[in-house]
Amino acid sequence: MDSWVRFNATSQAKERLIRAAQYACTLLGYTLQKGGAGAELLKLISQLEAHMSLTRKMMYLGSSAESLEAAKRAVHLSDSVLRLCLTVAHLNKAMYFACDNVLWAGKTGLLPQLDQYKWSHRSFRYYLFALILNLTRDAYEIHLLMEREARSHTPKSTWSSSSPPSPYHIMNEDPSLPATSSPAAPAPVNLPKTVITIVMTRLRRQLHMLVIVLRSNPPLLLDLLKNSCDIFIPLERLGIYPTGPGFVGACGLASSVLSILTIIHPWLKLKP
Amino acid sequence: MDNFITLTNQSQGRDRMFRAAQYACALSKYLLRNNPERKELVTKLQSLESNMSGGRKLLRLGNVVSSVEAAKRTIHLSDPVLCLCLTVANINRGLYFICDNVLWARSVGLIRDIDKERWSVNASRYYFLSLVMNLTRDVYVISQLMTQRARDKNFQQRLNRHLDDSPEVAEVVAPQLDAFLFVLFESLKSNPAVALDTVKNICDLFIPLDRLGIYQSNSGVVGFCGLISSLLGIVTLLQPKLKIKP
Repeated sequence: MDSWVRFNATSQAKERLIRAAQYACTLLGYTLQKGGAGAELLKLISQLEAHMSLTRKMMYLGSSAESLEAAKRAVHLSDSVLRLCLTVAHLNKAMYFACDNVLWAGKTGLLPQLDQYKWSHRSFRYYLFALILNLTRDAYEIHLLMEREARSHTPKSTWSSSSPPSPYHIMNEDPSLPATSSPAAPAPVNLPKTVITIVMTRLRRQLHMLVIVLRSNPPLLLDLLKNSCDIFIPLERLGIYPTGPGFVGACGLASSVLSILTIIHPWLKLKP
Repeated sequence: MDNFITLTNQSQGRDRMFRAAQYACALSKYLLRNNPERKELVTKLQSLESNMSGGRKLLRLGNVVSSVEAAKRTIHLSDPVLCLCLTVANINRGLYFICDNVLWARSVGLIRDIDKERWSVNASRYYFLSLVMNLTRDVYVISQLMTQRARDKNFQQRLNRHLDDSPEVAEVVAPQLDAFLFVLFESLKSNPAVALDTVKNICDLFIPLDRLGIYQSNSGVVGFCGLISSLLGIVTLLQPKLKIKP
């Protein structure tokens, strides 16, 4: 009970809850439509969804300033890639909030002549840029961690234990094979197969390292999953990669739940 | 800027700002009601006010638990009067939030066959009762402060000096009233949190008084009082030492 009170006290937590409920309504509406529910129920769910969306837009009314402050803080980061990614991401988010505020004014009737479609597109474009930059940051962090992981493993292992021997190596060491005068002349039919094997093994090793890095770094994993889920929303709304309301609802709900997890457990939030 | 962000980060801060905007709209609507050139602006203000009110109702959905938790805390207070006033106030606030949540469900269409007017009147009634209990607590705290001050020897000297300094009309006729007011103002000056809370509760009281028909004012007065109390609420959030404790 006490933790609910603390959770409810931050407006970000409330906004995430309402976002989760909004996308749950989208998903529910799609599922009920597929299941052949009545028009009245579908209308109720879409009204609820619109009401929550408008309330969230109202909650975003001061958020541009917060994003600008976050961008001001990100400018002082030491790592140049992180500095670039995060500052530009926060600036894009500030623009997204500004467009969203204009949309809210249009929807509530303060600006009745507003072209809502145009401004909605604008806001989703800025949101998409912000998400792409966040994903770039995630990829950069993963790359750094994988490099570190690879460096910490190479002194222990040698080539022969971690990778299969090269075809030239086999040919030269295996005494049963006929000695050839030139080592650089393997049979042409074996080359593609062994190249594929090398590539597959390398890929498998990279994947294995990726899994290790992500498992030992839950905040990064959570942030990556959240951004990957979120990116489908603007992709669908802008028509770049149309999925459908059900998929969008599921992705939005998943990313909101992950976001709520990072609020409940602050150690799960990726820093900076 | 930092203050603004600290305020918006708390959901109570955001709610107070929306409330201030909502009542500012109500006040502006009342002031412009007879102006024929501003009819479009009045419609926009009406739409803005109802949107903010609806949004705030959604944001209040979790507050019943906060009130129950607050009541659980105040029940352990040592002072019996404070314990009673604050616990009853928190319980009434919890009941008000329950009625408010039901009204929200009705407004979005989740519940259909309830008597909206009855639930709205009940919500106002519980809100009114919680305000009355808060005011009772304010009066009790002020009376305690005044008694404390009156007993203080230094203060008695200052009071006598004040009464002697101005031996004109009113003070001679009603020296006790003058002394009472002097002690009252000095106590309020020394404890601005109580003064702020009292003014806030008095302003807030006009809203349910008008709604329940006990003291019919008009929407302008309600808007003005709501705006003042929201602004005072924002001030207490920005300056935590101006918030009355407990």
